[in-house]
Parts: sequence; structure tokens; C-alpha cells
Amino acid sequence: MSLLRVAGICKSYGSIRAVETLNFEVRPGEIYGLLGPNGAGKSTTIMMISGLLQPDAGEVYVAGTAFGRDPEKAKRIMGVVPQELALYEELSGRENLEFWGRMAGLGTRAARVRAGELLEALTLTDRAKDAVKTYSGGMKRRINLGCALLHRPQLLLLDEPTVGIDPQARSNILEFIRRLCAAGTAILYTTHYLEEAEQLCQRIGIIDHGRLLAEGTLGELQERLGGDRLFVLEADFQQLAPEVWAGLAQRFRTIQRTERQLVVAATTARDPADCLKELLNLPVRVENVAVKRPSLNEVFLHLTGRELRE
Amino acid sequence: MLRILLAKDLRRARRNPFPWVIYLIIPLAVTALLGLALGGNSQDSALGRIRFAVVDEDQSFLTRMLAAAGNRGGTNRNFEPVFLSRPAALELVNANKISAVLIVPAHFTSQYLSGRDPVRVELIKNPAESLHPAVLEELLGATVTGLNALSRNFLVEVPALEEVLAGRGDAEAVGRLADRAGNKLLMAEKMINPPLVWYTGGNFGAKPEAVAAGTPPAGPVPDAGRSGMFAYLLSGMAAMFLLFLGQNGMTDLHRELRLRTFERCQTLREAAGWFVFSKICFTVVMLLICSGILFGGGGLMFHIHWRHPGALLALSAGYAVFVAALFAVLVALVPDERRAGVLNNLAGMALGLAGGCAFPPEHLPDFVRAHLTPWLPSNWFATAARELQSTGVTPTWPQVTVELLVVALLLTLLAAWLFRRRFQKGLRP
Repeated sequence: MSLLRVAGICKSYGSIRAVETLNFEVRPGEIYGLLGPNGAGKSTTIMMISGLLQPDAGEVYVAGTAFGRDPEKAKRIMGVVPQELALYEELSGRENLEFWGRMAGLGTRAARVRAGELLEALTLTDRAKDAVKTYSGGMKRRINLGCALLHRPQLLLLDEPTVGIDPQARSNILEFIRRLCAAGTAILYTTHYLEEAEQLCQRIGIIDHGRLLAEGTLGELQERLGGDRLFVLEADFQQLAPEVWAGLAQRFRTIQRTERQLVVAATTARDPADCLKELLNLPVRVENVAVKRPSLNEVFLHLTGRELRE
Repeated sequence: MLRILLAKDLRRARRNPFPWVIYLIIPLAVTALLGLALGGNSQDSALGRIRFAVVDEDQSFLTRMLAAAGNRGGTNRNFEPVFLSRPAALELVNANKISAVLIVPAHFTSQYLSGRDPVRVELIKNPAESLHPAVLEELLGATVTGLNALSRNFLVEVPALEEVLAGRGDAEAVGRLADRAGNKLLMAEKMINPPLVWYTGGNFGAKPEAVAAGTPPAGPVPDAGRSGMFAYLLSGMAAMFLLFLGQNGMTDLHRELRLRTFERCQTLREAAGWFVFSKICFTVVMLLICSGILFGGGGLMFHIHWRHPGALLALSAGYAVFVAALFAVLVALVPDERRAGVLNNLAGMALGLAGGCAFPPEHLPDFVRAHLTPWLPSNWFATAARELQSTGVTPTWPQVTVELLVVALLLTLLAAWLFRRRFQKGLRP
């Protein structure tokens, strides 16, 4: 049974449709990545799931129960890590953890013990007594994450938890999240970093303009582009119109075209050598050709017509 | 939950006490400023002695007599006239060493006694001062009224009086003059005593037993009239300043919204009501400390004996809860700190001014006084605090305290509801 099921939720801000009929589910021990550019509707989705925002339509089910039926129970099950550093900077890391633990319903002693465990797991024990304002960006992110874990939530909502930190700190956080997942926690992870989604998530939902465009494992999403390889041709395409070349349009699907580069995928499963031969026979002087595995960026590009980082 | 939230705020205040120290310094500074501005540091008189120059260009028997009177008895406890030439007096007023210059022109006495031409005296006020020159002007106005009354009623006796003052009248003439003047005064007595209109001396701040008996108090009791004026002023000023201090106290709620910590609390529990209530409690504690500084410090500075400190404390507590709850609502309505600053200042000013805190309510425009002021909690508090000090019996304060608390409760509920609604709609500052 899924721990989180989002069933057709919608949200509009005036005439702007932030989220439109979104459906997905997250199972225990799974990291579900919600991938999309800034403004795609990821944070709005997290806010609706966490009960901060009332959906205009649809329903959120947590552990099989509609959120609206028992919000307190749902809140006990989930932990929310907001994109912003929602911390008290004057307080120490330990005091922040203990306070959020108390707010989550733990007793004084239980909060203290759990804060100690989390400080150790987040490798912050040596800075536990220092004020959060003296922490580096990565350390603040780790405390921000820890504050949602005091009550051992079964479902963790992570809203871009690695924004604005260095690769080393990011790697530490991703490793910590993997360990949580291994312990059975269901995780909804929103990000606009392709690499994070590729490395971390078992399943990925691609969201843009509030709509879920595609969903599946990385392999399944790559499959949508026609297999596990793309052909990259480098040539001067400035004055040319490849879309009218009969040999190309019938056998290949154009993923991306720039003045110097054409990225295509075979429409049917064929021998790569045959594909290469066909591409080299096109009426253009090809300067270079490469074969590569399709990335999520190409999937996103194919689905939306633009790159994720645009 | 309230305990957890308050402990967190207390810990934060301990770690970063600077904003709270500023918060407490404001009433101290305000009280000290009031004391300095109004002469409250003087031990002898709340207003201090008014020093002014008299330029006597008339040099008549009458002006010399008035000058001698000015230097005598109770008068010189409050006034300090110095007799100078016109240039020397103007030099002193320019050097800001005296409050005003009173110039009695040449031939003033003879013209006054002749009753033919209007006479005038000249008052040059020190523009760098406000209160002392104003007091002198009022006093001069009263003197002129008195001189006019004398002139109109004793016009017939003026030639004889002029002779006597010039030292030319014999004893018989003086006797006749005194007899006629005495008869006129006896006739006038029926018209002026008892007076048709009277007022009770403001007993603000005096000990009740001294007032009831109508006798001087047995110990070193603060001067009732002077301290009464400051007690009246201080009650209104406290109502006004607590509004501004409450606004400062609630900036922490803005901060919690901006940092998303309030929002994060909502992801753990339905805690909007508790969260707002904890902020109100914290602000109320700070406001009570501030009102203690204002009333206590002001009392020491102006030698005010607060007649009902317990009732004043209860009233202050009710008012502090109202102020904190009011600004919680304003934070919920306008969460953006910069925009809220303008609105809060306007709201504070409006409540203070229309509530009769800065001016006596009688001086407000008719419409405001009749239709607005009675509905304002700032007015309830200021009026009740003034009544506590001015009357021996205090019938209204418990009712006012309860009313303030009821309004505060409604405002707290409104603030919590507004925050919940704001979160549900996804409105962020």
C-alpha cells in the first residue's frame, strides 16, 4: 500500500493554475522525485500535501486516510523539510532540534535523546552547542533536515533540500537521505537538479506548469525517447532544414536541434551501426558524431520543448 | 504547547537581548524626556521657576509696587523676575537665559489711571521655550483682565487716586477714597461671592485623607496640583506609548512569518492559535515591564503618589493584552514587515489621538468625541487610569479591565483565524 497518494489535486492563484490534476503515489522505502523547473508547482504540491495549503480540488491520502479526515494523524506520520531554512538562528543546533521535537509531540527527555541521535547522524555533534547563525550553509541545511525527523516520520517531504550548498555538503545530505530510505521511510523529493533525481530517486515524476508530464523509473523515462541511446551529430545546420530530409524524418525522432548540433533517437529498435550509417548518409557534412545514453534533461526537453535549466 | 513556545522565545531573547533591551529603554527614555521637557527634575516645583525680565520704562509708584509684590512670598517660589533695561533683557532672551521679557512702557500708569487712551504692555516670548512663556502669557492675560475690571469700576475715583499715588492727596482725601472704594467692593461682593461658576481643584495624586479633610497633609505629601497634571499627562502618554511598544513587540511575529518558522509549526500541529497566543503573552510581559517603568519612573520623577497601584496594574495588564492582540491582528492582515510598519504607526497614532491619550478628550473635535472616542479601548484605559488617580472611589476600573480583556480575546481569535486562512490560501509575506 502506498504511504502517500495524491489524487487529482488542483490549485489556482487567481488566473494562474499552479497545480493541475496531479496524481502520483509514494510507497514505503521509496524515494519519489518530483522534477521540474522553478515555478513548475513543486512547492505548491508539497504545501498541499503537508496541509499548509487547501487544494481547490482532489484529495491527499496519507497511509490510506484522507488528510482532511484526520489532519493531526497525517501530520504525525509525515515530516516536512521546507525549502527555506526555517530555523531559529539565535538558538543552537541542539536547541532547534529539541524545540521542533517538542512541537512534534515528544517529551523533554525523548526530544533530548532524539536530538543527540540526529546530531550524530548528521555529523554535527561537535557544533551542537553553537548558534545556528554561525553554521555554514551545508550545516544549516542538515539541521533543517534534522528538524523534520525528530518524531521518526514514516513519510518525509523534502522540498529542494540541497538548494545553494556546495557539492560536498550536497553529497552528505543525499547519503543521509539514502540511509533514511533504506530504513523504510517513504520520501517525496522535489528538485530541479537532474543529477540528484537520477542518482537518488527510484521513480521520477516530471512536472511543468503544474502538470505531471511523465512518470516512471529512470529507465522507463529514457525508454520514452526510443531506447537507451541518442545520436549527437555536429555540423553546420544553420542554413539547413533537417526536418524535411526523408531519411531522417522517417527513421529518427529529433530531440534537439541547434545551429551546430542535432540530437536524434531512432524510432524503432535497430542496430546502432545501421543507425550511424543512415545518419552519415544525410545530405550534410557531419563533423562529428557521438552515441550517448539519454539523460533526464533530454526527456524533459522532449516533453516540454525546453531544457530544465532554462 | 504554550510553555514550549514561551520557553523558546525566552531562550531567543536571552541569546539576543539587544532588541528587547531597546524595547525597555524606550519607556525609560520617554519618561526621562518628559521629565526634562516639563521640568520634572525640580524638587521644589514640577514646572520649575519661571525666570523672566521686567523692563520698567514707566518707573511709577504703581509699577514699583507691582515689582515689589512680584518678589515677595509665594510668588517668587514659582517666578523669578529680574529688572533690567530693554537691551539687557533682549540680550538675555536671545541667549536663552530667560523665558520672556515684559515691557511696561513709559507713562503706563498715568495713561491707565486717566482712562482716556488704551494702554498696552509688551511681552516678548523666548521662542526656544514653549511651556514657561505660555504660562507667563496666560498670567499676563489674567492681570490685564483684572486691570480692566478695576479701571471700569473705579473710573470716578481715578483722579483722586492719581493725586494720592502722586503723594499730593491729604489724609481726608485718602479717607474719602477708601470709604467709597470700600462701599463699591461691598456691593460687588454680592455679585462675585459666591461665584456662579467654580471648579474643584484637581486632587490628582494627593493622598485621599488630605483631600477629604480639606487640610494640609501631615507629612511630606507631593504637591497635588502639580503632580496631578503630570499624573494626568502620564496616564495618556502611557496609553499612547504602550501602543507603539506593542507594535515593536509584535515584530517578532513578522519575523517568524518571514523565516517560515510559523509555517513549519503548522506542518507539525494545528498550532496557529497557540502560536499567536504565545506571542501575545510574551509581548504582554514586555508591555507590563514597560508600563511599570513608565508609571513607576514617572511617579518618581514627578513625585506622583499613585493612589491605586493594584488597580492600575490590573488596568495596564488588560490594556497590554488588548494592544498585543490588536497588533497580532494587524500582522495577520499585513504580514510584510515594511508595509505593516506604516499601517501600525497610523493605527497607533489614530488610537492614541482619537482615544484622548495625547490631548484631553474634551479638546477633540465634536464628531470624534461623540462618536469615536467612547468606542476606543485606548480611551477606556486612559480615562479609567485618570479616574483612578483623580477620585477617591474607583467604580469603573474592574469593568474596563474586563472589557479590555474581552476585546483582546476576540482579537486573538480573529488573528488566529486570519493566520489559518492565510496559510490555507497560500498567501506568503
